[in-house]
Amino acid sequence: MTKKKQIFTPVSEKEVTRAIVDGFARQFIEYVESDCLIIGGGPSGLMAGRDIALKGVKTLIVERNNYIGGGFWIGGYLMNKVTVREPGQKILEELSIPYEKAVKGLYVADGPHACSKLIAAACDAGVKFANMTIFDDVVLREGNRVCGAVVNWTPVQALPREITCVDPIALEAKFVVDSTGHDACVVKKLEERGILKTLGFGAMWVEQSEDLVVEHTGEAHPGLIVTGMAVATTYGLPRMGPTFGAMLLSGRKGAQVILEKMKKK
Amino acid sequence: MKGTHLHIPSIINLYEEGDLSGLNIKKLGQYLQEKTHIPFHLRGNLYKRLPEKRIMELTKQFARIRVKDPGKQFVLGKPLRAEIDYEKRRIRDPHWKIFGILYEGIFYQKVISGLILGGKLDFKRCTIFFTNQLFGTYDQDDRRYHTRVSLYGFPHLISITGLVEAPAKPREFYLKKRMGLPLELLKKEYRGRFIDHGDVRMTEVLKGYAMQALFFHLTGSPFCEDRNCRLFNSHWQEEVIHAQMDGKYEFCPRHEAILEELRKEVANAPKKNDWT
Repeated sequence: MTKKKQIFTPVSEKEVTRAIVDGFARQFIEYVESDCLIIGGGPSGLMAGRDIALKGVKTLIVERNNYIGGGFWIGGYLMNKVTVREPGQKILEELSIPYEKAVKGLYVADGPHACSKLIAAACDAGVKFANMTIFDDVVLREGNRVCGAVVNWTPVQALPREITCVDPIALEAKFVVDSTGHDACVVKKLEERGILKTLGFGAMWVEQSEDLVVEHTGEAHPGLIVTGMAVATTYGLPRMGPTFGAMLLSGRKGAQVILEKMKKK
Repeated sequence: MKGTHLHIPSIINLYEEGDLSGLNIKKLGQYLQEKTHIPFHLRGNLYKRLPEKRIMELTKQFARIRVKDPGKQFVLGKPLRAEIDYEKRRIRDPHWKIFGILYEGIFYQKVISGLILGGKLDFKRCTIFFTNQLFGTYDQDDRRYHTRVSLYGFPHLISITGLVEAPAKPREFYLKKRMGLPLELLKKEYRGRFIDHGDVRMTEVLKGYAMQALFFHLTGSPFCEDRNCRLFNSHWQEEVIHAQMDGKYEFCPRHEAILEELRKEVANAPKKNDWT
């Protein structure tokens, strides 16, 4: 009787464990210090990360969830079609994301396709990720300049402190990006410390909110760039409908600001 | 209407800021002149001749008067750097298209008054300022801010964005919007039932608002209770369209009589050449 040929090469459990730990540790050690630390792996954070990494900027995205992409997987009412308004479709084209014209100036794409392509584009550009990692605090230097973040495992924060007394660790970077969406976690932390005052989330809903988000994207405090919906929270801008063009363009503008500032440094 | 004391201005000055697509301001001025026999003057963009130092002061003033939470009473705040930078770009660009920030209306009027009228009441000139920016006023009854199309006083403010955003659209429009339907699709479905940005009806509709401003100047009372009169204080888009375009008449008999009286007084008044 002939022995059946195995499909996969036999590898022991300990080798699998070593490979995971070694791969993770090497990357983590390398990215304990980066050029840019992006908090939040939604569309604006991914876009910013992709654009700066393409220019050779060493970039780490911290994401509290297991999955990357934030709300970009689905559109309004849990329907998995995402819409962008002109000129957002140009970025869809750039990332080879198929889309259709809905009406004049409005384009619709498949959420899973758009989101996975954006993640892949960020990965291809060289962005690294620390997922299941939650932002805890900011690292400040002279003149209260933001130059890093204190992070922890997401599950640690979800458990009562009596059970998990796990101290967080710090990551350093030349620039930190707050792309944490409506929560604006990094900006809020500066507010807690009395360094910056956020202005809440505007309750109005007008057509040009997307333009306002892009217009206000930039350095909110030395070392801290704010992109995406965190911009709306920081400056109290009106709410937007479920269109993602502003997230992509805000990420791009955030990247431009970082690149200009790095050039000057 | 004999015996009504009218504060008749010698000139109607029309100022503007930002992109006023859809509004033909010259045509509107001609209409005002035709109805009142008071000459008008197009003054153009308000900021065009301001020195850089004054612009810098203005940017801070505007950045301070943003309404951040329409559900709370306004408090003058300390502006953030990005907000001041935004105002700089807005003031420097006479064709600025972006809107959406809600400004505190009374403070906005005060800033503009400082620029045009030196903060004083001026009955000799009727000053109307057209903007594409959005302003609102706080309502003590429901304790929240409401966007406004116009704010009458010295000067009068009229917002073309307010005309789109302030009067309510059909109820179903908002229900569908809350379900997450894109605005573009909703606009297509409800086309014609509200005034949109760049709408071809904008000039015609704003003639009525400019007349309200003028009546405020003349009598202190800009509105009329007759929904067919152009001076009707509309709260719904469909009321706006009816009063300004589909009403039984342009002005109700009472206001038509005031206009008639005004034209007679203007004709009998000694000629002045007040273009300031």
